Amino acid sequence: MKLKKISTAVLATMMVTSMMTGCGSSSTDTVETTGSNASKEDGASEEAPKEIREYTAFYAVPGDELNSGNKIQEIIAEKTGARVVETWLTGQTASEAIGTLIASGEYPDLIDGSDGTGLLYESGALIPLDDYLDDYPNLKNFWSEEEWDKVRQDDGKIYWIPQFGNPYEKDMAPTPGEAFWIQARVLEWGGYPELKTMDDYFKLIEDYNAANPTMEDGTANIPYTILCDDWRYFCLENAPQFLAGHPNDGSVIVDTENLKIVDYNTTPEAKLYFGKLNEEFQKGIVDPEAFTQSYDEYIAKLSTGRVLGMVDQWWQFQNARDAIKQQGLEAQGCNYIPFALVADANVEPDYNTESAINPANGVGISVSCKDPEGVLQFLNDILEPEIRILRGWGIEGEDYTVGEDGLFTRTDEQWTQTSNATYKADHLCTYSYLPNYTGLLADKLNTSDPVQQPSEFVKSLPSDVREALAAYGAETYLEMMDPADAAPGPWFPMYSHSNTMTTSTPGGTAWLKMTEIKQKELPKVVMAEDFEQAWNEYLEAYNGTNPQAFLDEMQTELDARVESAKKYAK
Amino acid sequence: MSSKEVSVKASKIKMPRAKFDWKEFKKQKVLMIWAAIFFIYGIIFYYIPLGGWLMAFQNYKPKDGILGSSFIGLTKFINLFSDTSFLLAIRNTFAMGIINLAFSFITAIGFAILLNEVRSKGGKKAVQTISYLPHFLSWIVVTGILNDLLSGTGIVNELLMAIGVIDQPLNFFAYPKYFWWIVGFSNVWKETGWNAIIYLAAITSIDPSLYEAAAIDGAGRWGKIVHIILPGIKPTIMILLLINIGNVLNAGFEIQYLLGNGLVLDVSQTIDIYVLKWGISQLDYSLGTAAGIFRSVVSIVLILIANGLSKRLGEERLF
Repeated sequence: MKLKKISTAVLATMMVTSMMTGCGSSSTDTVETTGSNASKEDGASEEAPKEIREYTAFYAVPGDELNSGNKIQEIIAEKTGARVVETWLTGQTASEAIGTLIASGEYPDLIDGSDGTGLLYESGALIPLDDYLDDYPNLKNFWSEEEWDKVRQDDGKIYWIPQFGNPYEKDMAPTPGEAFWIQARVLEWGGYPELKTMDDYFKLIEDYNAANPTMEDGTANIPYTILCDDWRYFCLENAPQFLAGHPNDGSVIVDTENLKIVDYNTTPEAKLYFGKLNEEFQKGIVDPEAFTQSYDEYIAKLSTGRVLGMVDQWWQFQNARDAIKQQGLEAQGCNYIPFALVADANVEPDYNTESAINPANGVGISVSCKDPEGVLQFLNDILEPEIRILRGWGIEGEDYTVGEDGLFTRTDEQWTQTSNATYKADHLCTYSYLPNYTGLLADKLNTSDPVQQPSEFVKSLPSDVREALAAYGAETYLEMMDPADAAPGPWFPMYSHSNTMTTSTPGGTAWLKMTEIKQKELPKVVMAEDFEQAWNEYLEAYNGTNPQAFLDEMQTELDARVESAKKYAK
Repeated sequence: MSSKEVSVKASKIKMPRAKFDWKEFKKQKVLMIWAAIFFIYGIIFYYIPLGGWLMAFQNYKPKDGILGSSFIGLTKFINLFSDTSFLLAIRNTFAMGIINLAFSFITAIGFAILLNEVRSKGGKKAVQTISYLPHFLSWIVVTGILNDLLSGTGIVNELLMAIGVIDQPLNFFAYPKYFWWIVGFSNVWKETGWNAIIYLAAITSIDPSLYEAAAIDGAGRWGKIVHIILPGIKPTIMILLLINIGNVLNAGFEIQYLLGNGLVLDVSQTIDIYVLKWGISQLDYSLGTAAGIFRSVVSIVLILIANGLSKRLGEERLF
């Protein structure tokens, strides 16, 4: 009986849809998607079909797809009248995926090209947003005029909206970016010592591993592993900039006094770092599979709790932390604590900086999009206070409770539940690659991201991390490292330029060649029996790629950024 | 020489010079319409896209299109051949292509003959079905299996350690010297069963009376294989060899792409990967097209040479 009802409803909506199409409605794809979507909803509620606009999005980064009918996605769709179906990068690099899209000439409505953003612009795949932005105040005010100017391309137009690094009111991030991570059990065993240099760090790992070569269940530890899969190999190669006390400019070091570009691939710190890795490799501390493992294998290894330490970005091993939580491995102290190591104990570390706009990346609207106004309206709507709560916290009563003082809280069960992969796919919808503020919500009381809520943060911490932080007198991960202070200058971060380079310039070609050589030679340097010889071979191959062409173009960009910032200097 | 081959040759000799004849044409109207469909199909999907080759001689920008981009002559080809990565890619493609060709050829023919000798019908069917199933697996699955097999705790390392060849696990993917052979053997594993089907079919079409005659002359199983089966399937072997030689430069993309890593970059990169990395990913379609043209031209030359050789040796040939 129920089945019959549903099928009648489906049939009815199909008929309505086909009639509407027959009338020659101008926005055909809206109508189409309404049909399929409304039939689903009707089956359950038997209401009149509601027009939901549906847009497609592709983000050239790996991510987790939502299940269709995701609860919060549907609620947002009801409130805003639109929904975005998101697909993510799988098994390719960003440039490859974007290059293939461009070759086909067919784009989803919304695109974040990641490293391929420059390609999208060059091939004219994105529409300029300047004429639209004024009509959407939430979007327009998302960045300041100065920041929008940074996003402008060489033709003076805005093609994408950077969606990250934008704290509302104040930055609440309790977590760092890149760091040397070490498991809590190692620190506990060592009596929570101060770790300042690579020597301290590896000494502790070596000693611990000698005393405890296995986990509780007998699985052998992997003392130190390195993520080296494709573009993620920055976990191997960019540590020298941090060791030298510089912030994450990504591809180069900026000498802040003389405003000069410095290459970190050949500095004494680089040699020291790779020399240390080589030494540890020979001792059997570095995972022999490090350079042949894929990202998935790396995350799988971390998830078992076997890996004692590694260099990584916080966001890059979220799945491993979730898995450790789900398996209760915190009881064994398998969670990671960050350290800001430096080459020499006298160097002041500067791993962390305040959130800053990264003008090189953002989400843009493609030329294939038939309804840019609708998309922008949606992007504008999801910045409304009510929707921001839904995106960050979920549904009141199900995912969080509101206290009398207006503070949002989550119970332990809710915390466990919201880190469950299936629950995330069925229930939560953060639209993480569409514009959103970090920092606080519109009430200026609660944080945008539940994990950053100070009262909740401590609760969300696994017990092993809580103990370790307490032992060091820290309250957050970030307090283990240097504070996230102001960016060193208006040029920061320089990687936002190198990420947009293509082989159309000599510098871009050199950049790609340098990357290829580093991906090939640096693992060899670490594995070599004769480090000095391997290092010299690396230098020779590296210098053969004409790095100067790349550095010159970076210098030009640095000068240009310093110059354009003068306009806004007070 | 099989009777079939003789008859094919005979008919070739007798073929009269065809003269166009309207009556004949009308009689074969239906056939002509079918032929026309495929003719048009060929033009649209094989010849018109060749217009894209123009890109190789242009500084092509998707924004401007083929008509709007400026011509730069052979610059892209010069860039291509002065890039050591590309030269390495050519070498790798050839090496893996030849390894694949030799391996898959020998194993497929050997397997077909062995299978043919199996007496039990059920057993033969079962083996055949199971052996060609891997053909339907995608490379991503196969590389997953390979990663498991060859990992530090995989069966290969365990076996080698158990019989004392090595005393600690070997990371196969870290050494350039193993890479081509891993690719070659995985191709064998995946395709042998499938490739054997066509040879098996050729073997079944051999006239049974020949076996009887051979038996009377005292030929055993081995004798029959050498004197009846191999000569019987020789035309099939030659034709497939010719086709496969043209495919040598299609040594693959997925497996090398999926198994490759920084350490084996010098031996894993094929022309296809090069095109993806330096052409498509960098929006340099001109460079990608140039590499594609190079590959096509070399393939055609290879086929022509092989075909010519085959002709001179009096063997089966494509044209």
